[in-house]
Order: sequence, then structure tokens, then C-alpha cells
Amino acid sequence: MDKTGNYAYQKELFERLRKSVSLKRAEECFGFIMKSASWWIIEKNCLKPGEADNLLLQHYPQIKKLGPKKWADCAKHLLEAIKKSAETKKLFNFKCNDEMQGFVYPIVQGDRICGYIGANYLTKDISSEALQIFPAFADTIVKEVRKELELSKLYETLRPRAIALSTVHTVHRLISSTLDISELLPRIARLSLQIMRAQRCSIKLVDSKRKVLLPKATIDLRAKKIRLKKVKVGMWAPGKAVKFGRPVRGRDFMATPLIDEDVIGVITIYDKIDGKPFTAFDQEIMSTLAEQAVIAIKNAQLYKEQEKLTMGTIKALAKVLDTRAPGAYIPRASFIKIAQLIGQNLRMDAESLKSLEYASILHDAGEIFVPESVLAKPTKLTGEEYAMVKGHPAAGVGIIKHMKALKSAAPIILYHHENYDGTGYPKGLKKDQIPLGARIMAVVSAFEAMIISKPYRSAKSIDEAVEEIRRNTGTQFDPKVVDAFLKIMKKRDLRLLLEKELEE
Amino acid sequence: MNIEKAFKSDLHLKIIRFFHENQASIDTPRGVATWVGEDRSKVKKALEDLVLLNLLVAHRTTSTTGYSYTREAKLIRKVSALLGKMPS
Repeated sequence: MDKTGNYAYQKELFERLRKSVSLKRAEECFGFIMKSASWWIIEKNCLKPGEADNLLLQHYPQIKKLGPKKWADCAKHLLEAIKKSAETKKLFNFKCNDEMQGFVYPIVQGDRICGYIGANYLTKDISSEALQIFPAFADTIVKEVRKELELSKLYETLRPRAIALSTVHTVHRLISSTLDISELLPRIARLSLQIMRAQRCSIKLVDSKRKVLLPKATIDLRAKKIRLKKVKVGMWAPGKAVKFGRPVRGRDFMATPLIDEDVIGVITIYDKIDGKPFTAFDQEIMSTLAEQAVIAIKNAQLYKEQEKLTMGTIKALAKVLDTRAPGAYIPRASFIKIAQLIGQNLRMDAESLKSLEYASILHDAGEIFVPESVLAKPTKLTGEEYAMVKGHPAAGVGIIKHMKALKSAAPIILYHHENYDGTGYPKGLKKDQIPLGARIMAVVSAFEAMIISKPYRSAKSIDEAVEEIRRNTGTQFDPKVVDAFLKIMKKRDLRLLLEKELEE
Repeated sequence: MNIEKAFKSDLHLKIIRFFHENQASIDTPRGVATWVGEDRSKVKKALEDLVLLNLLVAHRTTSTTGYSYTREAKLIRKVSALLGKMPS
């Protein structure tokens, strides 16, 4: 600690000593024994020439009545006592006048004296017992006050850090709760702004050639319109932070690189709300936040990659199936969209919507095991043939069961031919026993089957098919799903997409 | 509830004081309950009251909600003035 720090500490120590309840009690106790009229405590730094006079005057105003000579004598004795107690580091008594006396006891910190505690004008003689007890009392009180001060200093230092740590932990939880990068990056930007109390935050990611930083999320509390600018690596604060792999801090900006094995991007914040400059502590906090952010970003990127891979696999599978009945299994965007919109309307979560998307493409994959002659038969199926058709949902699950990413789509595929009233297959489930995704798929696949023409069956018009779905609400289909479907089918853009795909 | 009324509730006041003194903080109801030394369920309700008053911002996700202090300078000034009148 430097001199100033020591001085500030000492000042605070004496401030606390003066207010100490224990010291007040000790004064009362010893005052009762010694009949002390005046107790005092003083810092060594405050003891300047002439200070003894003031000390006496402050703590024993009646001294004026004794006359200047006696006052001066008393001050002289007091100063001598202080000097001797400083030399011996022990309690030292002195004469105030012929009848009264006082004592001085040094307050020692480490190996040096930082102040004195004393009493003037004790009307009784100071007994040797009291002289022995007082230092022990004083030392205990000083020790207690010092401990209190240290605890409070520790609290002052640790509390903001503990709060900052808790903030970082909360931020980690908030950003780890999404794997959708388009949601994640603005969230990181918003949280960075909040923590730094800044006006603008921009997150840029390094492009594949590692030459340019691409703006991915920018939030500016002041601007209504935001211009997203690319920045060359090495240029401006964000570019420099990426090039050198370390934070770049100015008065009103701070760029923190997002470092995984390599630098993947940068978070730059600008302009504190209170106009103050960014500090080293801000930099420390932002670096910690960037460490959390980079993990979340990498996870989201990996998830996106995996999703692409899964979707690619599903589409490849659909293409293989399509070779048997051209046009029957190629996923049509409009039907996937109808299923998604119904799911959203019924407040399905993101994970369930994803399963519904996979199932929208593969729900009839099991038909590959049903002979074409059975699928295309215009007359009534025999019992054996119907059993084959009824087996296609389970056969579809059999195809996808080895792909872990598609596991959640299995119940939708398995039960999408169940009827709401329990007359469907394979298990004859009814109402809420049927998974919601399967109830949605039942409506969408029936609608799809009606409006797509097959060599052995002519197609219905969109309106006729919608009417057929409406007619079967509560029996074949879940009324809630049908309501959502009817609402969605009023969307003009969806109709246009559907018509366009049917023409193709 | 309005801001003046929130200042009359000990719990709301403690939370406001915490966020005013730690403006960079973002914390969950559990965290805030620790800092103000109060029951978590009561803190959770009070946090939502303060969100409605725009004194706090809620960062909601499926797993948790983080709460942080308002960035509106006018509101912060108002809180400063009201806290200045309160005994510390």
C-alpha cells in the first residue's frame, strides 16, 4: 500500500475508533474507576506543534479557567508524556496540575505508532492495577476495530466482484439457452450493452477467407437506422483486435476478440451512457463475456452444421424413395410450411417444430415396402393388402430409427394415420393419446393426398380438399388442428405457393 | 403500482437500490434474492413489478430470466433523486 493508502486507512481506523461502542464502554468503565473528566484519541499525523494546547482545550474546556501558566505547564507535561510513550511504546502517566493527572497510551500498528489514546484530569490517583489493565483493554478494542475495518474493506472489494461474477454466470445461462445463431448474436449484443452500460454494440464474424469481418448483429440505442459495414481485418479497432488477437480499447470504444482456437470474430462496444471512458475493469469483464460468447457461438454454428447435414440426409433419402414413384416423395415447401404454421399456431416449441419438419418430408417413407400395385389399386384392398398399408408407418420408423437426429420425428411418423376418434391405425389411439405432431401431420398428409393427382386417382381442388378436412373435424382430425389449418389456408401467399408447386 | 409506491415497499426498495448501485448487473431471481437477502419467490414477483414500471429489463429465455437495470437516463435520474431523499 502506498503512503496515501496508508494515510487513508489510518484516517478510517481512527474514525471508527472514535465511534467504537467498545471504546465508549471502556471510557465509562475506566472513567468510573479513575474519575476521568476527559478522554481523547488522536492520530499521530494530527499532532503538530501547538496541537497539545488544542487537544487540552477541546477535551477539557475548563482549562482556560486555570490560567495560561497552568495550561502551558499541562500541555508541556502532556507532550513529554506522548514523547516518552512513543519511545517506550507503553502507557505513560503525567501530571496535569498539582491535584490531577493523566496518561497517554500509544496505538501501535505493525512496528510504528499511528496515534495515541489518553485521558486528562483524572481526579483520582491512577492505581497500578488500572495502569496494567488499560493497555490490554485498549489493544483489544483497537484490534477489534481494525478487524471490523478489514472486513468492511474486504466486503467492499469482494462484493462488486461477486456481483460481476454472478452477472457473468447469468449471461452464460442466457446465451447458452439458444442454439439459433440468428437469435444468439443479437442477444449477446444486447447483454454486452447492458453490462457495459454502452450505447452501441456490434458483433462481426471473420469470413471464410479471413480477410473481412462481416457484420452479424448491431444494436444502437440512439440510431433508428443501422448501417452494417464490413471491416477489413487489421483496420479500425475491430479489425485490429482480430488481427492481433487482443482487446483494443479507446476512450469511447472497446473491441474484444472472440477467440476459440483462432479468432472467429469481435464484439465492439461504443460510447458509455454516462459518457465516462472504458476502463481496464470493463475490459476484464468484456473478455470474460467474450469467452462465454465464443463457446455459445461455436455451439450454435456446430448445431447449424449438424442440422444442414441432417436435412441433407433426409432430402437424399426422399430422393431415393422418389425413384420408385416419381414426384410422390420429393418434399414440397408448401406442405412443410403448412405443417410449420399449424405447429406455430398451436405454440409448439422450436425442437418440436424441427421434428415436425423432418416428419413432413419422411412421413410416408415406409410406403417403399408396400408394392406399387397395392398403393395404386383403384378398387377395395384385400385384408392382406390393407395390412401391408397399415404397416407403412412402422416401416417408416424402421428406416429412420438408426438416425439419432430423427428420433424425435418417429412418433409423428408412427401415428400420423391415427384418427381423432380412435378409428385409425396402427394402434387405434384417440384424442390426446395421439402426439400433437402426428395430429398435425394427419391433417397435412390427408390434404396433400387429396390435392396431388396420382395415375390411379384424380386430384381435388384446394377448396374441395379444405372442405373435406373441415367435414372430418372431430372424427378423423383434431378440431384444434383443423381450426389452425383453416386459419392458415386463408393466407394468400401460402395459396400462391401451393398453386405454383401443384402446377410444377 | 407506480415508482413512488414501489419506494414504499422495503423489498422493492432493496431491489431498486441494488440495481441502482450495480447498474451493470444482470441476475436471476435467485441471484437478486441473495444480494438483497430476501425470499426468492417474493423477489421474483417484485422483479416483475419493477419490469412493468420500466425500472428493470427482463431478458427472458426458456430456461431462465435475467433482470437488469433500465438504461433510460430520465428514469435513472428520478431514482437517484428519490433514493437521495431516503435514509440509507
